[in-house]
Amino acid sequence: MRTKKIFTIAWENLTQRKLRTSLTTLGVVIGITAIIGIASLGEGFRFEIKERMQQGFELDVLIVIPGSFTAALRPPFKPEEVESVRNVSGVKLVAPLITLPQAKINTTDGKKVNALTVGAVNFSEITQMISERFIPMDGEIPDDNENDTIVLGYKASFLNETTQVNVNENVTMQIEIKIPTPPYTLTINKTLRVAAILEKSGTPGITNFDYWAFIPLNTAIELLGEEAYNIILVKVSDVEQSEQVAKDIENVFDNPYSISILVPIAFMNQVDRILNIVQIFLIAIASISLLVAGVGIMNIMTVSVMERTREIGILKAIGAKSRTVLVMFLAEALLIGIIGGLIGILTGYGISFGLAYVLSSFIQPQQETGLQSPETQSIAISPIFSPQWTIIAFIFAVAICIIFGLYPARKAAKLNPVEALRYE
Amino acid sequence: MKMLLEVRDVKKTYRMGKVLVPALRGVSFDVKEGEFLTIFGPSGSGKSTLLHLMGCLDRPDEGEILIDGENVLKLSDDKLAELRLTKIGFVFQFFNLLPRLTALQNVELPLTIAGMHEKEAREKAEKTLKLVGLEARMNHRPFELSGGEQQRVAIARALINDPKIVLADEPTGNLDTKTGWEIVQLMKRLNEEKGQTFIVVTHDPHIAETAHRIVHLKDGVVEGIKEAPRGSTK
Repeated sequence: MRTKKIFTIAWENLTQRKLRTSLTTLGVVIGITAIIGIASLGEGFRFEIKERMQQGFELDVLIVIPGSFTAALRPPFKPEEVESVRNVSGVKLVAPLITLPQAKINTTDGKKVNALTVGAVNFSEITQMISERFIPMDGEIPDDNENDTIVLGYKASFLNETTQVNVNENVTMQIEIKIPTPPYTLTINKTLRVAAILEKSGTPGITNFDYWAFIPLNTAIELLGEEAYNIILVKVSDVEQSEQVAKDIENVFDNPYSISILVPIAFMNQVDRILNIVQIFLIAIASISLLVAGVGIMNIMTVSVMERTREIGILKAIGAKSRTVLVMFLAEALLIGIIGGLIGILTGYGISFGLAYVLSSFIQPQQETGLQSPETQSIAISPIFSPQWTIIAFIFAVAICIIFGLYPARKAAKLNPVEALRYE
Repeated sequence: MKMLLEVRDVKKTYRMGKVLVPALRGVSFDVKEGEFLTIFGPSGSGKSTLLHLMGCLDRPDEGEILIDGENVLKLSDDKLAELRLTKIGFVFQFFNLLPRLTALQNVELPLTIAGMHEKEAREKAEKTLKLVGLEARMNHRPFELSGGEQQRVAIARALINDPKIVLADEPTGNLDTKTGWEIVQLMKRLNEEKGQTFIVVTHDPHIAETAHRIVHLKDGVVEGIKEAPRGSTK
């Protein structure tokens, strides 16, 4: 029998029993809706997390610190060590950083500036290193040789919710230096000109410098009397090679275990892998409903084969092969799978986009204030159309229908024509 | 005349629960090409079983059935289906039309199974329905047709593939005498006009008498084969 004709007959048989067919198809629709809904929301969630992490990290910037993140096992980096890191292949750019955590910054009239950390950097290097974040909102980033200047992060520039430090205003930085012999603490006050205020970084992350203040490297070396770096920022030429470059950097040091390197891409990949596993797990749970739909199809088709026993007998008597009967019944299951799958895909995306829309209208954007911490920003997940999951779900729907339709179809095909004709 | 169908010592036993019921206990006879043959006997004599075996719907336990010289016992189920499709046409007592299809679609069905193009199949079905005198009711469904009309549709369906043999199982059993007689006359006419072989199972002696030859069946054996005087002269 011609394929087209088989499907025409199957379609006629299905439409003959509209209620039964719609209820059977509904099972498939629900299963696919659940799968597509979870897949598209899951993809959206992964995308959102990835996006946030990309904003929080410069993916191509490795952060090298002495010791571990919790304890310094070794003294800060020496200039030679910075140079050897610079020579590692795959390294595009290096920016060493001295942190002065003990520094306090006040305005000339004695008000406290909210800088949590003061970092000393080569401005030209840091601008190249994190060009997308190190952008002046006001003023200009000073040249490397302009000593006694300071660049404030967006939030560090706020004295309180309304007053901001002005560009070209002078501030005083006070640092305490411990002199070992004889033990005493030297307090130094340094007047610095506010050269620039940075744009708001906006997102949480390692390279969120909203609460930082930056001074020129030369000024810090002059004040501290030594050149010892606490952090080396390393920009790699190829993000994909990050982990290899990190290994090579470790090997530059006499004791590779005495330093730690943060590789953002590795971290992000790990998080993505975890989210992927969670998503697949949820989809697997949703797939159970499709299995239930499959059992429904098997049940209905078995009943249908019984009801149509005589018809099968007639078809066989006038020359239909067992295979033809099998294919006729499978075509019905296939049509249910195709229609249920297509509707399920539409309702799945419809529901997930609708849900995201309704939910996002509940999450009101918060009033932005200067001192608000970046962590409190609202997260809105929008579902993502995933061609890959759509195809998988569709194939799954069709496959389930065929697999569960196979038993009743075989039952129909195997009927003895004489007995089938006698069936009342 | 060439032998179209040969039945050689055919035996068939049915199992009814735990009891074995012998339906045919060694039946032999031949059917000539172009013959109009009736198998006559009381109910329970094994007529229908014999018809099913000749129509390749079932296989005998013992014996041979040869169609066109070919032993059908040796054929696979698919080959038997093909044989039913191309060489055999069935007419049943209860018409056995598909209720949701129109008369035309019912007649087309064997051609559809054979994979013929829709247009070609339609033309052929229309022609065949005309042959049985139903051109005016082609687009009616079985429940809109009388018993006689339904049986005409069934005959048209049996003839559509130009089979060599038409097997009819009590074709008048579900019709009143007058309509039944018309159906028999139709089959006789087709037999004469188209030269197709008709094998008709009946328990009605009047109908049996219309044949060229009558095979008397009783308790699963052939009691006698009689040349019918009326059959040869119409």
